[in-house]
Amino acid sequence: MVVLNNLEEILVKLEEEELNSDDGSVNPETYCQMLAIYLYQNELCLAKFLWQRIPANVKMACSDLRKIWSVGKKMWTRDWEEVHIALNVEWNANVREIMQALKGKVQERVLKLVGDAYASLDLVTLSKMIGMSLDKTKEVAEQRGWNLVGNTVKPTKAVPKSNASTTETIAEEQLHKLTQFVSFLEN
Amino acid sequence: MLQFIQQNMVEPMQVDAPPEDNDNTEEDPFIVENPTLDLEVYANSYTGLARLFRLIYIADHCPSLRIEALKMAINYVMATYNVSMYTTLHKKLAQAVSAPVLPDVAVQSTSQDIPTIDQAWVDSRSKKAAMKLEKFDTDLKNYKSNSIKESIRRGHDDLGDHYLDCGDLVNALRCYSRARDYCTSGKHVVNMCWNVLKVSIYIQNWTHVLSYVTKAQNTPDFPDIQGKENNMGIITKLKVAAGLAELATRKYKAAAKLFLQASLDHCDFPEILSPGNVALYGGLCALATFDRFELQKQVIFSGSFKLFLELEPQLRDIIFKFYESKYASCLKLLDEIKDNILLDMYIAPHVNMLYTQIRNRALIQYFSPYLSADMRRMATAFNRTVPALEDELMQLILEGQIQARIDSHNKILYAKDVDQRSTTFEKSILLGKEYRQRTRMLILRAAMLKHNVQVKCPTVNSNLNSDMSIGSGSSSHSLPRN
Amino acid sequence: MSSSLEQIVMSTRSLSSTGDFKELTALLPKHIEILTRNHQHLDNVLETLDLGHHSIGMLAVMYVKMNLFANSNNSTLEQFKLLLPQLQEFIHCCNKEQVLFAWETFADLCHLITNQLIDFGIPITGIKLMMKAIRKLQTRDTHLTAVHADLCKLCLASKCLKPALKYLEKDISQIDTGEDAKQFLLYFYYGGMIYTALKKYEKALYCFEVCTMTPAQAISHIMVEAYKKFMLVSPILIGKVQFLPNYTCNLVKRHVKRLCAPYVELSNVYCTNNCDEMKRIIRKYEESLIRDKNLGLANQVLNSLYKKNIQRLTNTFLTLSLTDVAARVKLSNIAEAEKYILNMIEDAEIFAVINQTDGMVVFLDDPEKYNSPRMLAKLEKEMEECVELGKKVLQMEEEVITAPTYIRKVCGGNEQEEQALANSPAQNATTTQVQGKQNTYTM
Repeated sequence: MVVLNNLEEILVKLEEEELNSDDGSVNPETYCQMLAIYLYQNELCLAKFLWQRIPANVKMACSDLRKIWSVGKKMWTRDWEEVHIALNVEWNANVREIMQALKGKVQERVLKLVGDAYASLDLVTLSKMIGMSLDKTKEVAEQRGWNLVGNTVKPTKAVPKSNASTTETIAEEQLHKLTQFVSFLEN
Repeated sequence: MLQFIQQNMVEPMQVDAPPEDNDNTEEDPFIVENPTLDLEVYANSYTGLARLFRLIYIADHCPSLRIEALKMAINYVMATYNVSMYTTLHKKLAQAVSAPVLPDVAVQSTSQDIPTIDQAWVDSRSKKAAMKLEKFDTDLKNYKSNSIKESIRRGHDDLGDHYLDCGDLVNALRCYSRARDYCTSGKHVVNMCWNVLKVSIYIQNWTHVLSYVTKAQNTPDFPDIQGKENNMGIITKLKVAAGLAELATRKYKAAAKLFLQASLDHCDFPEILSPGNVALYGGLCALATFDRFELQKQVIFSGSFKLFLELEPQLRDIIFKFYESKYASCLKLLDEIKDNILLDMYIAPHVNMLYTQIRNRALIQYFSPYLSADMRRMATAFNRTVPALEDELMQLILEGQIQARIDSHNKILYAKDVDQRSTTFEKSILLGKEYRQRTRMLILRAAMLKHNVQVKCPTVNSNLNSDMSIGSGSSSHSLPRN
Repeated sequence: MSSSLEQIVMSTRSLSSTGDFKELTALLPKHIEILTRNHQHLDNVLETLDLGHHSIGMLAVMYVKMNLFANSNNSTLEQFKLLLPQLQEFIHCCNKEQVLFAWETFADLCHLITNQLIDFGIPITGIKLMMKAIRKLQTRDTHLTAVHADLCKLCLASKCLKPALKYLEKDISQIDTGEDAKQFLLYFYYGGMIYTALKKYEKALYCFEVCTMTPAQAISHIMVEAYKKFMLVSPILIGKVQFLPNYTCNLVKRHVKRLCAPYVELSNVYCTNNCDEMKRIIRKYEESLIRDKNLGLANQVLNSLYKKNIQRLTNTFLTLSLTDVAARVKLSNIAEAEKYILNMIEDAEIFAVINQTDGMVVFLDDPEKYNSPRMLAKLEKEMEECVELGKKVLQMEEEVITAPTYIRKVCGGNEQEEQALANSPAQNATTTQVQGKQNTYTM
């Protein structure tokens, strides 16, 4: 998890490296990591432009780079089934951790979306969308308290955690802000 | 302006040609099949060009009445000096008779007594008209040399009347307008305005109509011209003329209000409209644009307009049915009179629009007391299929006219309860955002002006040279105010 | 070395030592002309100057070198790579106070470098350099310089957009972009393009709007192009074409629509909510859209129209079958409709629940009840921003009111009154302040 905690820091370094390079290009590993991090951060636009500016010979030479981008391309069209297919490959050590974390993140994202957007859907569709086997999908659905009727899943909305505890602590501060605001209005 | 009129009037019969200011009135060549119109009675409600124009309009849009209408028009035109109209009418008639499809058997039987063009009449009439013209012309010249204002004014008016009789609207308008310089009293001014108005209505130059109505109303001693009684007559004339102009430019509510101010006892200007027209135009426009309260107060309980409605009992029934919320029968009655009013040259282009608006009003009122409504029942009440009704309702909801949502699954219309608190929040957040954006822009703009950022004239510039002088840096020292 | 060159070195040295940078700057055009004539000795001149002390003199030499290089027909990438370190060293180490006097020449040098970098296909290597150059010309970080546009241009050319964002996000308070507004317009035009590329349409729209509302005596091509993009971004963002602010200069208002006729038609069609018609019109103007490099954006407008129509459905219907959604929005099939709805739900553009079993969609209201601490915090933050901005305007107002030129203008040159006013400035300020306040609220 070392990498994931300082992603931003690593990214800044990588970006600097690119900007400081003499001829504008860096080694394939740097590109791979940058691309993976952009995907993890869901910065698809930045990922897309990075892919576009990577010199063609580097793209040709580095299959990992191409594999990462094929994930990005599917994320761009939000074709979840394809995203998982593209994600299910062996990754090189320098991006493995990020790509695996990305997979988990995409699964979580899809599950939340399904919870929000569906009253019922086909189990097979769901399993494809989150890239899991049918049994595993059933398990995940049950964990979330979703009903299973035959081959149909009936998701329920995730209730956003209300953090009531924070309300009191900020009360005084809020009062202060409110006074400020009123005084602004009256002046 | 005159140039435009001339352009439009090369062929004086083209009443259908839309003039400049309402060029968006789409005049589809529609055909009315089954009118229930007594042409004789209808035609007798009008005199002069109004009768001729209306008959031609009917001839153009209703095949079954075509020949009869043309014959009546020819009969009528023979009493005037309008020779060109006479020949055009004959041309039209000849076309109508030779047309292969004659739907009405009765018409065929009468085809023997089709009048033929009387060249002798044409020649003698043209000669007479020319003689008359010469006489008026010399008279006017004499008056002018004697420089008696009143005589000159009358001379102009006489000449104008004659031109009108010949169907030469451009020259009529010119003569009537020239009388203006010789008006010595408010009465004369109003009279001149009315003359110009009349011709402008024939030409359908509605901007001109409105400006002359204002001109007449602004005549210094307008209120007490010709005594109280006569004054009402003038007011009615002006209101109706303005109403007609507003109707033609699709300002239906304004039109309704103007027509509603007419007084039946003084509604006597068959050279323009019949009282029945005033009732019809005013009634339909009011129905399409007034809310329930306005309808009650200004139409149903209006003493003066009630008299108008008595002239058009069908329309009266429609308005009352609408007011009593009996929409199905109201809409049915509306459909029944549709064919007839489509033959009215002034309202026909607006019938569809007005009908849609009336329908929408009915839908809105129908639903207003409900929390939910069964769309199947609603569809029967409005004589529509459910999907068609769904489309109609969707449009109304989108326009914000009905606060509701459609349950398309169960075909039920639910009133939407608006959460005031949430909408207030929503609005204020939006407003805050707008405020921030605009203030940012303002600050930037202040900086721009302060540092004199401005696109200068490039040395190579092709077609924008004429505008170069505009907006030179004079404003760059002041803070922008909104 | 010829005597004229010696003279240049002499005057540069003496004027630099006495601190007469203004005069030295005034001599620059003449110096540049002489140096250009004697270009074979440029390096000799360079040797006699010290970067820290004679930055303006160095600037002249660098400018001439770069200009000659840019204008020669057979310059190669290898030659440029030899020249580049010199330029980098100059920009990095030159004396800020000195080059500020000659900032226009400095900016011209930067324009030349930028164009060469792009011509040689290595724009990304210049990004850092231009960032440094901006810092040399900036008096504070809200200061817009004539080099900002170069940075944006390099970012766009290299497709490395992130570095420009830091600059674009600043609210500008000071502008020095030169005699004509070209660099100013370019900065906002490129800025708008960068934001558009990153799908940050709100900011993009702002940039394009700035371009079109810039005071103008003639219409610049940049303004026209910006307005075209304005008319495409605006529907994507707010579902209609935003009106130009009423302080847009009349010249622009009058001509810009005529100059962008296809775009006007496009936006008119957008307002009819008819996707098929929209498709047709995009196809009709495909050629000019491609020429303007706006086809992609136009297709996004079409996409946004589909989404807008789905949004309209949510305002009208409680339930609707997927088949009906596809039919009403004119999508080709149910799957496409489901996909659109799913994506829109994720982006919180609509609130709905799909039922795959019976193929129905239930449309919901925005679940936001504005009662959570999170929302409160958001509101507070926004209110604070408003207050800040309000204060800023007041402060600017005060600056203007207390400025002698303003007072003179208001009093119409009446000496006595001016005297009187000068005695009671506070009173005057407060009354006008109240007006200013009202202004900010009616905006």
